[in-house]
Amino acid sequence: MRVDRLNVALGNRAVLQGVTFAVAPFEFVAICGPNGAGKTTLLRALAGLLPGGRPQPRDVAYLPQGARCAWAMTVRQVTALGRIPHGDQNPAAIEAALTACGVQALADRRVDQISGGQARRAMLARAWAGQPKTLLLDEPIADLDPSAAHEVMALMAGFAQAGGAVVAVLHALDLAAQYATRMVVMENGSIVANTSPALALPAAAASFGMDLRAETALLLRPKQTKDEAA
Amino acid sequence: MKLAVVAIVVLAGLSLLLGAAGFGLPDADILWQLRVPRTALALLVGAGLGISGAVLQGVLRNPLADPGFLGIGGCAALGAVIAFYWGFTAAFPLALPLSGFLGATLGCVALLLVFSRAQSGPGLILAGVGVSALAAAALSLLLSAAPNPFALYEITFWLMGGLQDRTLMHLGLAAVPIILGCAVLLRLGPGLDALSLGEEAAASLGAPVARTLQLAVLGVALSVGTGAAVAGGIGFVGLVVPHLLRPWVGQRPGALLWPSVLGGAALLLAADMCARAAPLLLPLAAEPRLGVLTALLGAPFLVVAARRVAP
Amino acid sequence: MLFFQRSLPGWRALGGMCGALCLLAGPACASGVVSLNLCTDQLLVLLAPERIAALSPLARDPSLSVVAAQAAAMPWVRADTEAVLRLRPDLVLAGDYGAQAVVAALRGRGITVVQVTEPRDFAGVASEIDAVAQALGQPARGEALVATMQARLAAIPPARRGNAVFWEARGFSAGPGSFGDAVLRAAGYRNAGTGGEMGVEALAAHPPDILITNAAPAYPSLATDMLWHPALRHLRRTSVAPALMACAGPWSAGAVEALAR
Repeated sequence: MRVDRLNVALGNRAVLQGVTFAVAPFEFVAICGPNGAGKTTLLRALAGLLPGGRPQPRDVAYLPQGARCAWAMTVRQVTALGRIPHGDQNPAAIEAALTACGVQALADRRVDQISGGQARRAMLARAWAGQPKTLLLDEPIADLDPSAAHEVMALMAGFAQAGGAVVAVLHALDLAAQYATRMVVMENGSIVANTSPALALPAAAASFGMDLRAETALLLRPKQTKDEAA
Repeated sequence: MKLAVVAIVVLAGLSLLLGAAGFGLPDADILWQLRVPRTALALLVGAGLGISGAVLQGVLRNPLADPGFLGIGGCAALGAVIAFYWGFTAAFPLALPLSGFLGATLGCVALLLVFSRAQSGPGLILAGVGVSALAAAALSLLLSAAPNPFALYEITFWLMGGLQDRTLMHLGLAAVPIILGCAVLLRLGPGLDALSLGEEAAASLGAPVARTLQLAVLGVALSVGTGAAVAGGIGFVGLVVPHLLRPWVGQRPGALLWPSVLGGAALLLAADMCARAAPLLLPLAAEPRLGVLTALLGAPFLVVAARRVAP
Repeated sequence: MLFFQRSLPGWRALGGMCGALCLLAGPACASGVVSLNLCTDQLLVLLAPERIAALSPLARDPSLSVVAAQAAAMPWVRADTEAVLRLRPDLVLAGDYGAQAVVAALRGRGITVVQVTEPRDFAGVASEIDAVAQALGQPARGEALVATMQARLAAIPPARRGNAVFWEARGFSAGPGSFGDAVLRAAGYRNAGTGGEMGVEALAAHPPDILITNAAPAYPSLATDMLWHPALRHLRRTSVAPALMACAGPWSAGAVEALAR
């Protein structure tokens, strides 16, 4: 999917200026940049949620910032919501999504009784269950601890490796560098870098007004564990 | 569910036996002119309030939402007061449910406007309570200005509700709008389920968010608006019924709709039967007001539920 | 004649001159009587209309007052201390409920306030008329009013008509010892009312021989709607003009006459 020369204004502010962006299958694109750079707006534009846009529910799944379910439904019920675009309750697709996101063991637990990371993976399972071609996620790991964050990033990378396209707004530059296939840096409504993470990292750091100390970049890697039970 | 329907039928039968003339089958006139309208209206108004509460909670994503104390009932009563005391109802009986409907629509729109800014949470509840207070103030102001020297004394009916002395005519006026409103609301299950993920996520799933909100307003305005026009201000039914039913039917908003219809009907009928029974058992000068009984049940509920939501 | 038309400068000037003259002439100069209560309004109009400074707003409502036509041409004042003081009355008539704060304030200013209690029977009406007539300095007119009322009551042929309930707004029934009870008995009925609230269903279950209500008012009201509930349509019923019963007074003999027909 792509957008071309997109200009978006909210109120008096030009949020996006002349943005051209495309993503293809097998890609995992990380969008980085300071707050107010227009990252969320770009994502919403891709999701078809801006005025004048049209969502593509069967092909595109969108997870907004702080994705949560307002009610204490079970993980399975939440995942089943992902089938709404298809108008069915296809149990195979739901089970596949639960398994892929590693929450099958929690399927009958209520989402308010599991950990934050598990709940986020349940939300991801909801997106997965719709069998979309593209995943759009807005800060999916912002409120997760490092181990849960890694799990979610690995799931997203797995989705891309299986042939989907993933676009995620991320603030954790180290994780983005580790898992993404491409990094896009945005500043003040424009794209200032759009290349491999290694090359884009310095620009990303600069957008925050920071230097990159490559030699001391801290990278965590998950231990090889099975799913925790609780 | 079948059990619930049977229970309601039994309750309705008991209700027909209960009245100021004592417990037992009265003569045909009393039965048809007094007890049947009262029983039927309690079921209808209660059903409308129950499902409106469930839908409001789903739309606002807040388990504390209730059409009564969030002001929708108050705005409906305001409309009804204008229609009644300024003679529109005498000229054109349908003006009564219509005015209640218009008032309730206004209340819903005001609430949704606040909701779009405040999102969910305590700010929304506060705004709703504000709307309710404003409606009650406007109500008493209008009643004191009404071309009727005793209108202000009737404020207790409009603020606290009641089903005494309702006639078959009231039943005829109220039945169709309330049933229509409930029918509209019953179709909102899938939309409300999608909305539990938030409006943007629901839209990305292809759920008709705007249409769901509009139909919710229509359905709530029809059921609550008409209910308030014939029965005055009754609150807390829309809060209590979904709360009681969630542990049984699950947390999915769509699963609550039919049960809330039945639960609301049963609850209000039971409350009205208590109101009728009270003067027979206790030395009371008059029947307690229906809205008072539901508030006695519902206000503690609200306190407990609020503590759970915002610890 | 002191018919003040509101806010006409000429009348104000005239009133001001009268007031000044009164101050010179001393306390013997009567500058007017104010009535704060529907019941005393009507008596005032019947006994001393030339001394009226102002009546209560209800006096001009034909559904409540038998002297509405005359009262419409007279000034009115709400039961508010300042408004009453501005009229500089030398006598104020009031009931013994409602506007008590105003009464106390007026007495504190040295104005004579005569309070009347709602009578419970026609003998009480007679003594009320006497008391008010004395206060107004018109004892002869008072006696004439009482005599007319007693003549009308005496002219009613005695009869025994069964039991009746006098049913008022919001379902209140006239109970034993009330004025409604006296009217019913004067018309030959036995009062089956309890004095408290009697609901539609209670009346439908134990109907009296005749149900008596005030005639339906012109304005819509929940309180009076219930009196015409379809469940009671088979009862024998009759109505009286509400102005005859709103206050107990000599005019209430008209209610007895209507019921005795």
